[in-house]
Amino acid sequence: MLELIPLVIVLAFLFETMDSCAGMGFGTGLTPLLFILGYEPLQVVPILLISEAITGFTAGFFHQEFENAKFKLKKPINKETRVMLNIAIFGCLAIIISVFLTYYAIKVDKTIIQTYVAILVLAMGLIAIIKLKYKSTTYKPKLLTFFSAIAGFNKGIGAGGYGPVVMLGQIFSGIYEKTATAIVSVAEGIVSVAGVAAFVLVPVISSQPIEIDFILLPSIFTGGFIAAMISPFMVRVLPNKIWKIVIPTYALAIGIYVLIKLYI
Amino acid sequence: MENENFQNEIAIDEIGYMARFIDTEFTIFERMKLKKSTIFRIFGALIIYSLTMISFAIFL
Repeated sequence: MLELIPLVIVLAFLFETMDSCAGMGFGTGLTPLLFILGYEPLQVVPILLISEAITGFTAGFFHQEFENAKFKLKKPINKETRVMLNIAIFGCLAIIISVFLTYYAIKVDKTIIQTYVAILVLAMGLIAIIKLKYKSTTYKPKLLTFFSAIAGFNKGIGAGGYGPVVMLGQIFSGIYEKTATAIVSVAEGIVSVAGVAAFVLVPVISSQPIEIDFILLPSIFTGGFIAAMISPFMVRVLPNKIWKIVIPTYALAIGIYVLIKLYI
Repeated sequence: MENENFQNEIAIDEIGYMARFIDTEFTIFERMKLKKSTIFRIFGALIIYSLTMISFAIFL
């Protein structure tokens, strides 16, 4: 019997709406809330990865449909696709390392690294707000690669914050906010596929199978999928000046939320 | 003329060109209009959603 949990559907919808509109927050926001609701890591983490893989591609498809970005897979690929692949490659490497670290229970002091990520996201959010006054439209590919690597490093050591760093990194690199959101959605879809593959393959390779509980999947998929269809439309309709304010403000909120979760 | 076309192609290849263009050239209400093909694709996505939920009901 298919079990749908209304509260989880609403939470998944809200966080995926923000994730597909502002390029961040699905994992960082939803994971601790589901833990608070009493779900176990193996009920949450792989399910969020599966869901994020589906919703990332769905949001990417609709971002393309609503012309927030134009991805081109046939050669020669365009710049938007190249940026997306650049971000996705760092993310894929990072998530594989992250799954290995988690699976082999390699001890990393989570509080210190999560504090570092929260402060990084806060600082980037603040700088983005300060920079609102200045118009910068020159694309800086080296800066983007730098931020992709930082975001990948953070995710690799299990600290999260991949979305905010990559999203704000794109804005600092001169990418238009609406397009940056679309790029992050697709990149996160690809990274999540790599995450799911690592989650399935690592236990198989080490012949220590793990049992994934799928109880949350229908609910998270329902909320996330609907949000992934609606959000790209919202991104298209609302003027970019709104996203210019919403994105860094949401990043600030995420940074503060992580710090509160860690220390209060 | 050829040079102008070439310049346009370069502009179109710029990151975020389409989003920027739509933002500046169309009003919010104009941006809300959906193309027929988009409506079909939304229905297509809803069918995929329904099929996925049916497969969850069968396999999970």
